[in-house]
Amino acid sequence: MSENSRQNFLNRLRIRKDLEKFTAGALSRHGDIDALVARIATLERPQQDFIYEWAELVARANTELAAHFVYRSADAFEQMPRDGVQDWLDDAMTTFDNRGLGFAIEVLESVDEFARRYGERHVRCDFQDASTFLRHFVRGLGGRELRLTTDDSAFTDTEALYLPDAVNLFPDSEQNFSLYKLTAVHLWAQTWYGTWRYGVLERLQANYDDELLLRIFNNLECIRLDACIERDFPGLARQFAVFGHTGEEGDQLWARWRERAEALLRPGASAEDSLNLIGSFAEMTPPPPKPYQGAMFAARVRQTLMSRVEREKSEFQKAMQELRGKPDDDGDGAGVNVPQDVEIEAKESPGEGDAETTLRLSIDGDEVNLPEHLRDLVGSIMQDFGEIPDEHMEPVELGDYSDELLAQGADENPALNAEGDDKSTFTYREWDCVRQRFREGFCTLRELGVAPGDESFIDDTLEKHRGVLKSIKRSFEAVLGESRLQRRQSDGDDIDIDAVIEAIADMANGREMSEYLYTRYRNQERNIAVMFMVDMSGSTLGWVNDAERESLVLLCEALQMLGDRYAIYGFSGRTNKRCEVYHIKDFNESYTQDVKQRIAGIRPKAYTRMGVAIRHLGQMLQSTQARTKLLITLSDGRPEDYGGYKGKYGIEDTRHALLELKQAGIHAYCITIDNEAQEYLPHMYGTANFAVIDEVSKLPYKVADIYRRLTT
Amino acid sequence: MSTSAIQTTQSFITEEPYYEPVADEIAVFTAAYRNQLPVLLKGPTGCGKTRFIEYMAWRLERPMVTVACHDDLTASDLIGRYLVRGGETVWVDGPLTAAVRQGSICYLDEIVEARKDTSVVIHPLCDDRRVLPIEKLGDLLQAPPEFCLAISYNPGYQSVLKDLKQSTRQRFIALEFDYPVAETEQTIIQKESGVDAGLARQLVKFGAMTRNLKGSGLDEGASTRLLVNAAKLAAEGIAPVVATDTAVAQALTDDLDMLKAVHELSRSIF
Repeated sequence: MSENSRQNFLNRLRIRKDLEKFTAGALSRHGDIDALVARIATLERPQQDFIYEWAELVARANTELAAHFVYRSADAFEQMPRDGVQDWLDDAMTTFDNRGLGFAIEVLESVDEFARRYGERHVRCDFQDASTFLRHFVRGLGGRELRLTTDDSAFTDTEALYLPDAVNLFPDSEQNFSLYKLTAVHLWAQTWYGTWRYGVLERLQANYDDELLLRIFNNLECIRLDACIERDFPGLARQFAVFGHTGEEGDQLWARWRERAEALLRPGASAEDSLNLIGSFAEMTPPPPKPYQGAMFAARVRQTLMSRVEREKSEFQKAMQELRGKPDDDGDGAGVNVPQDVEIEAKESPGEGDAETTLRLSIDGDEVNLPEHLRDLVGSIMQDFGEIPDEHMEPVELGDYSDELLAQGADENPALNAEGDDKSTFTYREWDCVRQRFREGFCTLRELGVAPGDESFIDDTLEKHRGVLKSIKRSFEAVLGESRLQRRQSDGDDIDIDAVIEAIADMANGREMSEYLYTRYRNQERNIAVMFMVDMSGSTLGWVNDAERESLVLLCEALQMLGDRYAIYGFSGRTNKRCEVYHIKDFNESYTQDVKQRIAGIRPKAYTRMGVAIRHLGQMLQSTQARTKLLITLSDGRPEDYGGYKGKYGIEDTRHALLELKQAGIHAYCITIDNEAQEYLPHMYGTANFAVIDEVSKLPYKVADIYRRLTT
Repeated sequence: MSTSAIQTTQSFITEEPYYEPVADEIAVFTAAYRNQLPVLLKGPTGCGKTRFIEYMAWRLERPMVTVACHDDLTASDLIGRYLVRGGETVWVDGPLTAAVRQGSICYLDEIVEARKDTSVVIHPLCDDRRVLPIEKLGDLLQAPPEFCLAISYNPGYQSVLKDLKQSTRQRFIALEFDYPVAETEQTIIQKESGVDAGLARQLVKFGAMTRNLKGSGLDEGASTRLLVNAAKLAAEGIAPVVATDTAVAQALTDDLDMLKAVHELSRSIF
């Protein structure tokens, strides 16, 4: 046995031994283990390490799953890069968490399918990925705003661009993206260079279903539009040239067509010219469509165009009426309309030469700037007609347009109405410290209300803590007052006489003079939003719960005075499927009777799954506008819940949720009565961001006091 | 005893600044100046408001004082304050006081950015009284006929908090500025940067494209100033797409999708 093969042999023995150990024997039930070990041995060292590491981790959850993973891992590495294998494994683990072993094994076994989809996903260009960019891009090119949406084929109805779900023609994602973009540009060009002008549609009307004729028209337009783009957008034209190939034969056919349609290449050629040429192309072999060309549905365009023309005509006439001056409406009916001659003239119409169209508005011969709100409207009309039709300029009776307009406005955006059935259920991920991964969508959280409690609790509390409340209020008043006029500043609005006298005295005594001689007013905005997250776990039963409620009452009184925006939510839950937050007061609510009753109604519920509550409330806090955002937790112990959410796991998930908050610019602070908090709170909140209250009865006073210190 | 804190920002403009008239703004400003009327310049950023004032200062042969207003700018920053010098308190003129004393053109740039009390102190200067009360000195400074006050503001990005009060705006002759029409803008870009007509025209077109995006993702389109910047880079031999990316796209937005869109728009032209 040579040294090399001996090494190999030992290596395989080691691999086999280790893997069997991790999977506690489950591996040996999976057929030919020697062949498997031989395959793993051929992998590169980092890949082997990956398999080792994860086999061990997965085995902690389930050894059978680990065995399946090991068994298919070589296949996975043959077909995917490391990231893909990681995705595949994560997918399996998530499935295991949510749906159990059987489904997870299914995921692992279908590694070939996964690899295929992974490959596609990483080269194809999806609508979702590209749509935001494309919307901006097409808007920037010019013309009326176009919606972007998906359809089986690519076409436009002149108000929206319909694009395929994805482009997957090339092995390279960059190329797929370019083709997708060019498809959109080509459709945009149809709307911009007048393919669907009113006049064109009128002439096409008889032939909407004539497929051959439309196909010829489409090809001719493609030739014309390519020429337009070449004139106006040299950069785009270069890209079109790259993607315009249709095979050798196809390219020859296109060349022959272009030769015969030479008139369309000239500046000033219009879609009507294309129409005129259709007859002479009927006998020619049609070339294959260009990859970016798309389809044409004249009937749909007509429908859209007609309703838009009507709508814009009445809008335009109304606007013109306003420009001319409103007719005089005094009761006798003999209105004196001061007629003014309003004219709109387009210096250059789109489609002819340059991309910009300068519109000039003249009233009685005086040129004025076109009002902003009219610019888009006139632009859109110009796109449809190439001019402002005479009938648009005719004055109309005011009053008969508004209802019609409203009706159209309402159904313009149906997508807006169709969203969000169940607004109060959310899913959140959770940090798994063992796997060092998120469990995606692991926690389901619901927002619930609190049954109103007895309001007399509020009055009793205020009575009981009258003295405390007084001192809290006084200290909060100081917060408001103290920073108004800042003294002894290095720079400011006015001289601080005290400081100056002192400085002069200092100087006379031969000491150094202070440079802080000014007073200045500071901006007094307290731009703070604070979220109170109240522990409603079962362990708070009794006087802890009372103390929490009392604290909230005093705090609300004090906060009303400061004017800071604040929200209060309770949290509890049992298992990851039933996490709950309880709405007590949100940011936009004021301190009403209802809120008071809800505070009184806070009752201990179940367990303490903190991470998910922090994520949920943090998100809420993030969506409010404030310079300083603060999340304050009132708690009585460490995070704990059914299903392994305890000890290190719970603490790590909570810590991770807090780190996410910090990244979002939210400060977190914890007030607790747990005497053992020193052990875990510094790790979760950081050394300076918590307070341990040793006596529950002091909680109400302390909470307000801590808040005051935190925010000044 | 009084000294002036302003030496550097106040100056005679000795060389003719390049300015391309858009309409009859020069005649209007001159007439306002002769009649001692203050002038308000409205318009988006980078469309030539400051350049216009510089040009007018040169034309009218008056020194010019520019104050860029910011949200900490107080009335005493404009008027002046007592400083301690050698154990005594010494009055130091602010830029506005200095400008009134010397009969300069005082230009308050982006006036709405300043604190509310600031815009009020200019009121007595802006009506027929033309006086600047200096409370601290107990002085009432009469403005000489050569003094002229001009302020600018951008109605485009006004928040509710930062609006020009009616009592302020109704004291001014208002000149509206906008991005120049394509041909003028092209001339400006050519003259400012030295690029050829073709590139300047493409830049103008690119500028128009970004202005299409105003309100649908961008707060403002590319200003003439940004286009000139891009042209200057291009004149140094930077590729036009790189020049527009760095001088325009990155200056306009941080949004990745939008950056990509602006980049592709540029690529579609150059």
